[in-house]
Amino acid sequence: MSAGRFVELRDVVPRGIAGSATITSIGAGTTLAELEVDPQIPQVLREACAAAASPQLRAMGTIGGNLLQATRCWYWRLGYPCFLHGGDRCHARTGQQREHAIFGNERCASAHPSDPAAALLALGAILRTDRRELPLADLYRLPTEDDRDLTTLSTGELILELEVPAPRASVYLKAMDRRKWAFPLVGVGAARFVDGVRLGLSGVAPIPWALGGPEELDRATPLPGTAYKVEIARALVRRAVDAV
Amino acid sequence: MARLIRTEKEVEGRYTEQWIVVEEDALERWPEGPLAVVGREAPRTDGLARARGEAVYTADISFPGLLHTAVLRSPHARARVKRLELGAALEAPGVRGAVQPGDVECLTREPGYPGAPVAAIAADSAGLARAALERIEVEWEVLNPLLDPDEAVRRGELTTERRPYARGDLEHGLAEADIVVEAEYRTQTVLHNSMETHQAVCRWQGDTLEVYTSTQFIWGVRNAVAEQLGLPPDRVRVVCEYMGGGFGAKNDPGDYTFLAAELARRTGRPVRCALTRREENLDSGNRNATIQRLRAGARADGTLTALGGEFVASIGASGWLASTAGPMQMLYACENVETLEYGAKLNTAPMAAFRAPGFVEGTFGLECLLDELAAKLDLDPLELRRINYAHADLLDDRAFSSKNLAECYRRAEPHWARREEVRARSAGPWRHGVGLASQIWYGGGGPPSYAWIRVGSDGRATVVTAMQDIGTGSRTAMAQIAAEELGLPLDRVDVVLGDSARGPYASISAGSSTIPSMGPAVRSAAADAGRQILEIAAQRYHLEERVLSLRDGRIVSTDGGSWPLEEVTGLLEEGQILGKGARGPNPAGMRVLTFGVQVAEVAVDVETGEVRVDRIAAIHDVGRVINPLGASSQVEGGIIQGLGHTLSEERLLDPATGGVLTQTLDAYRVPTIADVPEIVTELLDLPDAHLTNLGAKGLGEPPIIPTAAAIANAIRDATGADVRSLPITREEMLRALRQAADRAAARESVGASSA
Repeated sequence: MSAGRFVELRDVVPRGIAGSATITSIGAGTTLAELEVDPQIPQVLREACAAAASPQLRAMGTIGGNLLQATRCWYWRLGYPCFLHGGDRCHARTGQQREHAIFGNERCASAHPSDPAAALLALGAILRTDRRELPLADLYRLPTEDDRDLTTLSTGELILELEVPAPRASVYLKAMDRRKWAFPLVGVGAARFVDGVRLGLSGVAPIPWALGGPEELDRATPLPGTAYKVEIARALVRRAVDAV
Repeated sequence: MARLIRTEKEVEGRYTEQWIVVEEDALERWPEGPLAVVGREAPRTDGLARARGEAVYTADISFPGLLHTAVLRSPHARARVKRLELGAALEAPGVRGAVQPGDVECLTREPGYPGAPVAAIAADSAGLARAALERIEVEWEVLNPLLDPDEAVRRGELTTERRPYARGDLEHGLAEADIVVEAEYRTQTVLHNSMETHQAVCRWQGDTLEVYTSTQFIWGVRNAVAEQLGLPPDRVRVVCEYMGGGFGAKNDPGDYTFLAAELARRTGRPVRCALTRREENLDSGNRNATIQRLRAGARADGTLTALGGEFVASIGASGWLASTAGPMQMLYACENVETLEYGAKLNTAPMAAFRAPGFVEGTFGLECLLDELAAKLDLDPLELRRINYAHADLLDDRAFSSKNLAECYRRAEPHWARREEVRARSAGPWRHGVGLASQIWYGGGGPPSYAWIRVGSDGRATVVTAMQDIGTGSRTAMAQIAAEELGLPLDRVDVVLGDSARGPYASISAGSSTIPSMGPAVRSAAADAGRQILEIAAQRYHLEERVLSLRDGRIVSTDGGSWPLEEVTGLLEEGQILGKGARGPNPAGMRVLTFGVQVAEVAVDVETGEVRVDRIAAIHDVGRVINPLGASSQVEGGIIQGLGHTLSEERLLDPATGGVLTQTLDAYRVPTIADVPEIVTELLDLPDAHLTNLGAKGLGEPPIIPTAAAIANAIRDATGADVRSLPITREEMLRALRQAADRAAARESVGASSA
């Protein structure tokens, strides 16, 4: 890792879990390790946190940081002059793409790996920053010709807190290349509320992906190397919906 | 009397003839089975030192004024350096020296793979050296890389001559067959990723160069460095006391050693050159990918009539052609065998030996092909292997020094018999199955190898030999052998190793050869010291030598007398009893090989392509087992590494540029402890009656050889799908399942139309 400057946020960002029977609020500085064992936290989020990274990383990594982790693409991470780096094309679309996107991948085929983000999308979480409140889904955006950012956060804007409604039932399922400590090939969070089941997916698009329903998988736009992800997503979405 | 003889030496299947001097060595063979110390479980004598962080690895070596190196590596798979200016870099803070093409042989102006070293800088810290790299001005002319191995073969771009082999007549054999199967198998490029990266610290002491390095072959490094630098070999001292893994990638000195040596010479300071994890994934060797186009024919009764294969190995920019065809040539008694091997020269990083190079890849192809044949013949796969059992070496009709593969098969039966029970666990999307695969490999070691031993007046023994323990537990095994011969408890034997200036020549730790090469030399040295102790004791107690022996730290007489060892050695006060020993020759005219079989149990989620390995039983015949605890660790390590090869590890390249995309351990996936199945280890522990004074063969490589094929065959048993390409990722598993479903549908429609 290399960076010009590190800023310690531990004393600025709230940490801890509080709430009622219907809403839980989570400080953005709460670690994944704290979330995965707290009985107030809905199952889908606990499972997503437990499925992420390794115990050592979860003990250090916070939920706010996890939501803002960078997307995954070897070309982008190795500094290829790709679309996300301001270039004119996505190298993965014609290159090695087995880990890449099946949705929203027209300009950039990277895959966002956050398990907790998929869970929080399924839960319909609300985000509070030092400037505004917004649904989690609105934190993310697909890159455009004019703006290659993947989030809507302004410079200096801080995520402070999350509000998570309590579902009737929820679950997180994850397919990966080994049994622990790997990013999702496909992650599926599902949460049942009075008005139906909401789904959030990880590893399928450059941003965490809210899926309107199982039938939306028919509108996936996989690359030749990622078609298998649609197959996995179908199975996991079906299992997740059955489970809640 | 010293005897000069000509003998054969083998490392990883490559044979050479050489002269050796052997002492008369008429040691009695030890009986079979566990002895007082040998054959009994011994925790590593250096385990605590390693766990406490007291063990000194190359990374821990430091000297006042030590400089650190950063290497400018080609970002391109194939390029020409049009302009290279070190000037600004030399002016950078903390920089003490630099080298460029022309200064050191390994630096090049025409890099032929991504990561090839072009220039290097030595500075006060690694950070300063890396910062200075940015100030090197370099202009590249980027050239089109050659990345496709089949295209390289078509163009005749080969690293070595193509290698044909034939016995009998393949076409005749195929014509005789009732059933013929034909398939193409592919194995991927995998990286060793030793926990300790490749590195060396070089320091000039007068006209002697000291090389502290992570290596599998102290003496090989000594000789190669001396030759490159034009020094007498004894002016190079090589030290490697502890090591964090090699797996075949640390057999040679490597560019980092030559860069450190030259920068140390130029700066007059000690210099470290250590690869980063990213560099480790770019330029430290790899198990090369293969394409195997195979055919097998058999009569209805299962007798093999033909085996044929064309093998293309993606060697990279340079390297040697490991024998992927070896298992096909050697494992089964088949009269008609033809193989043809190509080593494709590509703009990818050079291969290096990797734990049974060639045979791991070739066994995957051959043993999967055998199971596809068994399915067509409707024969039990274990039975098919028994029907074609080879009783003598098939390459030149030599007798085996020992072969107990039939006993391995017999011991595999209870594991194989779990098939019905395992399959019956299938439920929902999960299908369960069992598969097996055989193993054949070398592992006999050879001379020359020497050891010394000294026994002090306190009755403690110290083995001295300039071998290396590459992390396999050789140090403990050597102590056990000396303790057994001297009748001492294990805690009264020390082992000093890892320094070419402090001990006699010792063999390479590669080709599963450390135990079979070094062990007999240590026993012979201990026996030499033991004889002297008994001679002295006989004179001290006025007895005949033949009634005396060494046991439990005492000198024991057949008439019931018994004296502590130190009573005799103590007579010498500061004096020491010195023994020396050498490895004798391998049995003339015999083939020394290791054998085994593994049985894998897997579960496959047919909807998501997840493959879970639940259990692997490993039954191997490697002669006498010195330390059953260390041996089972080797088996587990081999199987876990094999699991990564089978399921998750692959070096991926950008197809357009040849750039390596998997440079870090988050992208290159070795198994975690959560992926490890239940592993049941059974070693036959039958000493080879013809091999050395120990009858022990090597075990480092055999356990990784059959793992991939056993898993793939279990997957076929579970699902009916033929997985023919490694690694068996989700997409490969789903592809194979789809293909199997299409095949079944086609059969059904044929069945329906004919009905």
